[in-house]
Amino acid sequence: MIARLRADTRTLPILALIVVIFGIFASHNATFAQAGTYAAIFAIAAIGLSLLMGNVNQISLGQSGFFGIGAYAVASLTTTWNLPPWISWPLATLIGMLVATIVGLGLGFIALRFRGHYLAMATLAFGLICVGVFHETKFLGGAIGIEDVPYPSFGALTVSGYPAYWFAWILALGAALLTLNLLRGRSGRAFEAIRNDELAAEVLGVPTRRYKIFAFAYAGALAGLGGSMYAAFLGIVVPDAVSVQLSISLLLMVVLGGSGGVSGALIGAALIGFLDISGHQFENTREVVYGLLVIVVVIAAPGGAFGLIRSRFKSKPLAARAEAASTVAATPIAIGTPPADGAPLAVSHVTKRFGGLIAVNDVSFTLTRGTLTSLIGPNGAGKTTLFNAISGIGRLTEGRVEIAGIDVTGWQPHRVAALGVGRTFQNARLFGEMTVLENVVAGAFRTERTSFGADLLALPSSRRSEREATDRARETLARLGLEPIASTLAKDLAFGDRRRVELARATASNPWLLLVDEPAAGLNASERSALTADLLKLRDAGMTLLLIEHDMRLVMSISERVMVLKFGMMIADGKADAVRNDPGVVAAYLGTAS
Amino acid sequence: MFQLLVAGLTVGSGYALVALGIHIILRATRIVNFAQGEFTIIGGLLALTFVQLFHANSWVALAGATIAGFALGLVFERLVLRPAARSGEIPLTIATLGTVSILLYGHALIPGWGSLPQPLPSFSGEASDAINVGGVSIQIQSMWVLGLLLAALAVLYIFFERTYYGKAIRAAANNPTGAKLVGIDVTNARAVSVGLSIALAAYGGTIIGPITLVGGAGGTAIAIKGFVGAIIGGLESPVGCVVGGLLVGVIEKLIQGLPGVSYGLSDPIVYSLLLVGLLLRPQGLFGARSAVRD
Amino acid sequence: MLLEIRDLHAGYGALDVLRGIDLTVEAGEMVAVLGPNGAGKSTLLRTISRIDTNVRSGAITFDGHDLLRASTVQGVRYGCLHVPEGRQLFTELSVDDNIRLGAFTVDRKNIDADVAAIYERFPALADRKTQTAFSLSGGEQQMLAIGRALMAEPRMLMLDEPSTGLAPQIVAQIFGILADLKRAGTAILIVEQNAYLTLQHADRAYVLENGEIALSGTAAELTADERVRAIYLGGSTDEA
Repeated sequence: MIARLRADTRTLPILALIVVIFGIFASHNATFAQAGTYAAIFAIAAIGLSLLMGNVNQISLGQSGFFGIGAYAVASLTTTWNLPPWISWPLATLIGMLVATIVGLGLGFIALRFRGHYLAMATLAFGLICVGVFHETKFLGGAIGIEDVPYPSFGALTVSGYPAYWFAWILALGAALLTLNLLRGRSGRAFEAIRNDELAAEVLGVPTRRYKIFAFAYAGALAGLGGSMYAAFLGIVVPDAVSVQLSISLLLMVVLGGSGGVSGALIGAALIGFLDISGHQFENTREVVYGLLVIVVVIAAPGGAFGLIRSRFKSKPLAARAEAASTVAATPIAIGTPPADGAPLAVSHVTKRFGGLIAVNDVSFTLTRGTLTSLIGPNGAGKTTLFNAISGIGRLTEGRVEIAGIDVTGWQPHRVAALGVGRTFQNARLFGEMTVLENVVAGAFRTERTSFGADLLALPSSRRSEREATDRARETLARLGLEPIASTLAKDLAFGDRRRVELARATASNPWLLLVDEPAAGLNASERSALTADLLKLRDAGMTLLLIEHDMRLVMSISERVMVLKFGMMIADGKADAVRNDPGVVAAYLGTAS
Repeated sequence: MFQLLVAGLTVGSGYALVALGIHIILRATRIVNFAQGEFTIIGGLLALTFVQLFHANSWVALAGATIAGFALGLVFERLVLRPAARSGEIPLTIATLGTVSILLYGHALIPGWGSLPQPLPSFSGEASDAINVGGVSIQIQSMWVLGLLLAALAVLYIFFERTYYGKAIRAAANNPTGAKLVGIDVTNARAVSVGLSIALAAYGGTIIGPITLVGGAGGTAIAIKGFVGAIIGGLESPVGCVVGGLLVGVIEKLIQGLPGVSYGLSDPIVYSLLLVGLLLRPQGLFGARSAVRD
Repeated sequence: MLLEIRDLHAGYGALDVLRGIDLTVEAGEMVAVLGPNGAGKSTLLRTISRIDTNVRSGAITFDGHDLLRASTVQGVRYGCLHVPEGRQLFTELSVDDNIRLGAFTVDRKNIDADVAAIYERFPALADRKTQTAFSLSGGEQQMLAIGRALMAEPRMLMLDEPSTGLAPQIVAQIFGILADLKRAGTAILIVEQNAYLTLQHADRAYVLENGEIALSGTAAELTADERVRAIYLGGSTDEA
C-alpha cells in the first residue's frame, strides 16, 4: 500500500506540472481551456469515487446524485439570494457540500447492507431518485432546470473562461492533496485494511461500518464540490446533466485511470476530457471507444493507466528503511493490562444455532490469567464457531460471554478487540496487498491517537501517531525475527511466514488475551518448533492464550489445560494427559469398532 | 382502468423478459448484467434488419432475431464475460457497464439502424387493429405480446424442467463443483445460459417492437425497470422476475393514468420502488433469503 | 494397478499439503486413507479428481491415463468418480434428477433400468424420488451422492468421509453397500476419520500425518498397531 501511495505522492507534482503546461498552452485556445476546466470539475468527483472503489472496495453508481446536489445548491441559491458576489458562490458551495455530506452519510448507512451488484443497484437507485427529484421539483426548475447561474467572482476577478481553468484545477489539486493526506494517515490505513479483509480489520479494532459510511460521505462531499463548480462554470443546470450517465462516465474515468488514490482519477478525467475534445465530431464513436477501453482495461490492466505507469517505474525496495530495522533491539514483550478485574474470559452456557443445526451446544468455561489452554475436537465440532462467538462475529443464540468481567455479549468485533483481545484465523487472513510491516502497523491500529481532521491536514499529531505505530510494529517484528521480510507483500509470503506475521499483527497492540485458531496447520516440523517457542514466550510473559489446534503432539506438549469439543458439546476438560486417555475422547477421534 | 391494466401488462412483458434474462445470467455467472436492456434494443433492431434486408414478415424476423441473439450471447460470454471474470466480480460487473456504452452508442453507427426509434411491422393486420371487449378497446398487438410472452415462458419451462440438457445446465449453475464431478462441462453450460439470456432479450425487444418501436436510447430505462421488476419479484426466482416485471409495467401505467399526476413522476416512483424493495425485502416477493449481504 | 500415485507434492497456493505421497489401489480393492485432521486426506482426493489443488511434482496414473494432464470431467470419463466432503449435490433438483444427471458421461439408452437398479440398492431414495436433494437427511444425501456417482459406471469410487454426521446404523448401511460394490468389482478409495470401523472393511490402509504417509499395511496389521492411536492423539510413534 505504501508503495502505491508513494507513487501517488510522487506523481501528483508531475500532474500539477502538466496542468500548468497545458494551461499555458490553452491560453490561446478556448476549446482546450474549456475541456481542461471540465476535466478538473469531473476529476474532483472522480477522486471521491476512486477512494470509494479503489480504497474501500465499494462500488457506487450514485455519484451523479451528489454532483447534482452541489450543482443545484449553487444554481438555486446564487440565483435567488442577494449576497455580495465574493461570498455568494463559496457559501452556496459550502451549503451544497454540507447537504451532500449528510445525504452521503445516509447512503453510506444504507449501503452497509449490500455487497457487489446489489450495492451497485442500490446506489444506482439513489442516483435515479435524485434525478427524479430534480426533475419534478418546481423550486429547482423542474425539467427545464436553472439558468443564468452567475460565475463566482472575487473582487475584480470573475471566474469564467480562461481563469476558470486555473480556479478549477486549484480546487482539484487541492482536493487531491487533502485526499492523499487522508490516505496516508490512520484513516487510509483503516480503509486499506477494510479493502483487503474486512473481518480481519474488525478484529484488529477497526470500526469498519463507521469507516465505510464515512467513505461514502467523503465521496459525496467531493462530488458536491465538483457539481458546485459545474453549475457556476456552465451557467445552466438541467436534470439530464446529472443523470446516471454521469455516474457511468465517472466510473469509466476511474476504471481507465486507475482506482485507489488520486492520480488515477486525475489521469482518467484528463484522458476522457482529452478524448472528448479531439473526438468532438464522433460523439457516438467516442462512447463506444470508452466502453471498449473499459472492457480491455478490466481484462488486461485492472489497475488502469496509473497501474500501468507504476509497473513501468517500479520503485526500489525500501532499502534505507530496512537498515533502521536491524538496529531495533528485541524489546521484551509488554502485555497490556485488562480494563477491569475478573477472569480474562468467562463463557457461560453459550449456544449457537444455524437454523436447525446446533453448532455450539451449552458450552461453559472460565480461563485463568496467564495460562495456555487448548480447544480440540474432531472436524465440525464447533471450535471456530465458538471462537467467532467470543470475538463478536455473529450473534449468540443463547448464553453470555464476559471478558475481564465485562459482558461483551452482542458486541461488535472491533469493540471486543478494543478491550485488548487479539485473534488469529484458521487461514491466516493477512492484508495481501500490504507489506508485512504495514500489516503489523495495522495491528497497532487501536493504539493510535489521531483524528480525521488531523489526517486530512497532515497535522503533526497524525504524523506522530503513524511513527509511534510503526515503531511498535518494528519492535514486534524484531521480537519474532521477522525483520528480513518486513518489506515483502503479504500475498507473496511463504506459507510458514504467513502464520507468524499474523501472530505479529495480532500482538502488535499488546493484547492481554489471545485467541489463536489452528496456528500449526500447514507448518513443517521446524516451523512448528518455532511456533511452539513463540507461544510459550507469550504465555510466560503473562498473556492468556486460548488455542484451537489439531496437532496433538503440539497441544499435549504446551497446554496446561485441554478442552475437547464434539458436535458442539464439551466432552472433556482437564489436564493434557487425563484428556488424552479419556475413553470418550479416544472414541471421538478414532471411532469405535462396531 | 382495464385499459391501463392491458397497457401495463404489455409494456410489462418487455420488462418481464428483461428481468428473466437477468435472472438466467445471474444464475450462470453470479453477476447482474447491466447491459440486458441494451441487448433488448439490439434485438429489436436485428428483427428490423431481417424485415428490411430480407423482406421478411415479423414472424420470420422474430425467429431470426432470437437466433442472432443467441449467437450474440455466445460472443458476449466468450469475449467479455469469461476474460473479465478472472479479474473478479466487481470488474466483471464493470465490464457489463462498459458493454452498455458500446451498445448504447454503437448501435446508432450501424447502417440502417441510426439513433432514432423505428417501427416494426405488426404481427398481424395493422398496428392499430383492436377488438372490443365489454366496452374496452384492446389492441391486437397487445394480445400478441402477451401471447408471445407466454409462449417463451412455456418453451423455457419445458427446456429447463423437462429436458436432460436443460437440467444439466441448471445443475452446473446450482453447483459447479458437483457438476464437474459428474462430468458436466461447466464452462459450456455457462456459455449456453448466457446465449439463452441474450436470445431472450432479443425476443423481448422484437415482440414489443410493433407497439413501442425499436431502437433509440430507451435501453437504459428498460434495463432499470427490468431490474426493479427482478428485485421486487425476486432476483433469484424465475417466477418472481416475470411477475415483478409485469407488476412494474402495470404500476407504471397506473401512475401515468392517475389524474393530476405529472407523467414524469412515474419514473422516479418506480425507481424509488427499487430502493424500497432492496431495503425492505431484498430477496423479493418470491425469493428466499439469499446472498444479498455478507 | 488401477491407481498409482508416485511422489506427489501438492497444495493450495503457497501452502504445501502433500509432501511426497506414494499410494496404489488395485482393481476390486478397498483402500482406506486415515489420519488426523489437517493431514491432507481430502487434499489427496481433490488432487486425484483435479478439482482445485496445485500440483508441484509427482505422477498420478489411472488405468493407464495420466490424471495430471486431465480435467475433472475427463477423469470422470475414465471411470474415476469422487464423492466429496459435503457431497456437492444439486440441491435445487430432485433426487431423481440428481441420479439421472450422474449418467451425463455415459450412454443413456438404458438409463431407466440403471436408475431402477439404484433405487433397489437405496430404497430410502425410491421413497423420495421427487423431493429436492436439499430436503433429504444427512444419510439420505450421502446415499444419493453415492447413487449418482454409480450411474457413471465407475472403475474406482473415491469417498471423502462418508460417515460424517451420520448415525451408526446409517454408517453401517453405507459400509454394507461399499462392500457390495467391492464384491462387484469396483475399487474403493475411502478417506475416513473413524479409523477402527473403516479398518474392519478395508483391505489395506495408509495413515497420513502432516502430508506424509506415516504408516501403511493391511487392515489387519494396522488394527493391531498401537502407533495409529499415537498419531491421532499425540504421544510418540516409537511406542511398540
